Amino acid sequence: MSKIRLVLVAFLMMLAGGMLLSHQADAAGKTVYVGGTMSLTGPYAEDSAAVLAAFEDYVKYVNETKQLAPWRKEKWPADVTIELLWRDDELKPAKALSIYEELKAKGILVYRISGSPIALALKDRLKQDGFGATSMATGPYLMKPPGTIFTYYPIYTDELAAIADWYKENWKESRKPRVAYLTADNAMGKSIEIPEMKAYLEKIGYEFVGIQYVPLVPTSPPTTQLMWLKQNNVDLALGVMINPGSQPTVKEMVRLGMGPSQAFKLTLGCALPSHLPVFAGAMGTLGDGFVVAGGFPPWDELSPGVKFETELQKKYHPNKWVSHSQYMGGFLEAMIQIEALRLAMQKVPLENLKPADVLNHGFYQIKNLDTGGISSTPISYGPGKIEGVEKVRVDQLQKGKVVKQGVWPLRNIH
Amino acid sequence: MGFGSGAFRENYGQDMALLRTRRQWGLLAIFFVFLLACPLFCSDRVLTIMTMIGIAIISVHGLNILTGYCGQISMGHVGFMAVGAYVSAILTAKLGWSFWTALPCAALASGLAGLVFGLPSLKIKGFYLIMATIASHFIIIWLILQLRSITGGADGLAVPKPQLGGLVLNSKASYFYLVMVFACLATLLSLNIIRTRAGRAFVAIRDNDLAAEVMGINLWSYKLQAFFIGCVYAGVAGSLLVHYYGFASVDQFPFMDSVWYLGMLIVGGMGSIPGAILGAVSLRLLDELVTIAGPILSAAVAAQAAASLALISRGLVIILFLIFEPRGLDHRWEMIKAYFKLWPFSHEEGE
Repeated sequence: MSKIRLVLVAFLMMLAGGMLLSHQADAAGKTVYVGGTMSLTGPYAEDSAAVLAAFEDYVKYVNETKQLAPWRKEKWPADVTIELLWRDDELKPAKALSIYEELKAKGILVYRISGSPIALALKDRLKQDGFGATSMATGPYLMKPPGTIFTYYPIYTDELAAIADWYKENWKESRKPRVAYLTADNAMGKSIEIPEMKAYLEKIGYEFVGIQYVPLVPTSPPTTQLMWLKQNNVDLALGVMINPGSQPTVKEMVRLGMGPSQAFKLTLGCALPSHLPVFAGAMGTLGDGFVVAGGFPPWDELSPGVKFETELQKKYHPNKWVSHSQYMGGFLEAMIQIEALRLAMQKVPLENLKPADVLNHGFYQIKNLDTGGISSTPISYGPGKIEGVEKVRVDQLQKGKVVKQGVWPLRNIH
Repeated sequence: MGFGSGAFRENYGQDMALLRTRRQWGLLAIFFVFLLACPLFCSDRVLTIMTMIGIAIISVHGLNILTGYCGQISMGHVGFMAVGAYVSAILTAKLGWSFWTALPCAALASGLAGLVFGLPSLKIKGFYLIMATIASHFIIIWLILQLRSITGGADGLAVPKPQLGGLVLNSKASYFYLVMVFACLATLLSLNIIRTRAGRAFVAIRDNDLAAEVMGINLWSYKLQAFFIGCVYAGVAGSLLVHYYGFASVDQFPFMDSVWYLGMLIVGGMGSIPGAILGAVSLRLLDELVTIAGPILSAAVAAQAAASLALISRGLVIILFLIFEPRGLDHRWEMIKAYFKLWPFSHEEGE
């Protein structure tokens, strides 16, 4: 009987806890919510933790100062408080669905996407419900057709096109450079395998060799894949990987004598989910020659945006410095969501505001949002225009430092 | 709930009946009324959770027949769900078939895939069968990615919502009803399958396959039947899942979900129909609880405190059940029922 009593007591405690939580959520006053789903469990955990920290810092700043950034004159309404709502989706679409419904029921008017599986599962639903969302994943699937998920760095194919442009400009030999994909074997990595991408590479003078896959988080060095690139005399390998994939890949490249300054000349270029500042910190000079497109500025860059982020980190958590560059991504997401809400509130009173109002009067009206240099260009959106930036930043690791190679225009490959 | 003392089974009909007392019929009627009324008082979120639980129940019933009753441990169950999902998605999205025609085809395709990958079970068992079924998952996912022109590869496929007559089932409530109908049918079918000759053969194979063979049970046939039936369930669940998402993508079928489905069986109780339901419900609810607790814990401690919380809690629950209640929640429920049935003469009280 004692066991049964114990079970009943535990059940009642859980029930009471649930009721208390729902009561606390209902007790909020004149508040708008930002945030959405995060992937704090799984391969994107590190990125998501940085995004979450940035959201928290920026929301705190706006709530305290009612300013949007030191360089911006617009003010946030004094009587409206911003609250951050988030849940860990574990990068599982099934979980993301119920989280979406929960946050929608709580009254969130904007949303965020944590990864490609979530974007694919929620894209149609968000459009149907008229929700505007920012996204940490930027595959070309977002453009087929453009929905209501907005990016703040280019889609993967446009990022790789910029690397291809940069590499071609520096190509000295008379023969065609040979290019192959070396990409993660998940939806994110494989999203670049579209005919338009291959056609663009061939159009600008590349010889396309083939495709090799690396696990998203490799458990052993991708020796076979790299040897395949070597045997096929590949000059440039393009892919979409996260740092847990790109770091062991480059280490193995060096071991096999492959790299821009190695015996076998091969350049590996990846789209943004490879974070070059993080990569540089972990790899140092061992990773020299690795190229990343669509990235954010390094922490030592003296742009107003980076300075602002540094100040906020020092102010709000001086002992917990978040060095991951996806902090900048999260910062941009928070800025975009709050700007969309601010613009929408100018047209529709907060009490009557619906997600579709924020989409139409907010997201679609964002034009030349000055991010202080955190994004490669100011951000603009519109119906059908979901890529916020106009150009792609390309960086290379040289002598253990992130060196900006320049910016290249978007090629709109999707 | 129970078969109270003083009520006797007097003929074969009564003995075979699934529901034997008026009280059981009454409770079932109340349950159906509750299900019908759910959309009236449940939020979209709760309906979404219940819909996902319903799909999980269908899938776990299949795994229960294969693993719980027949003892063939499968770690590739989600791969078979993917087969059903993609067959249904291709037939409806590319060929324009109706959902109602595509669904049985999806179930059949999954069943056939189960037959193919079940063939090794005739030669291997235990750890080696686990490895073979893990391989089946990765082979299926690899094939889906390679057959890009048909499956959409990594880009996936947009899947239309099912229609019933002229009614498109695109609301949360309508899909909830659809899934619940299938979940109830799956439960009813499972209850009956295990009482057939095949069901008894499954149990005999699970308990001792050598003894079962000596008694004249055809292992080759019954093991494959278990794979076929288990995978048919997976196919139905997969089909319902992608039509609910409105999109089919390989990322919706991660390998780890096979592990969690097995975990649901452990928590609920292997080889028990109510156990499959209890396991699916309890682990899904645990997921939701952890999702809510994550931000609270994060605010109180640090963002990292919320990371992997769901993984840890699920793993912990499975370990605790394996140690303290290996027969699962169903066994615990039976003990509670027995206590009240025997009250006031419980053997515990008497001791």
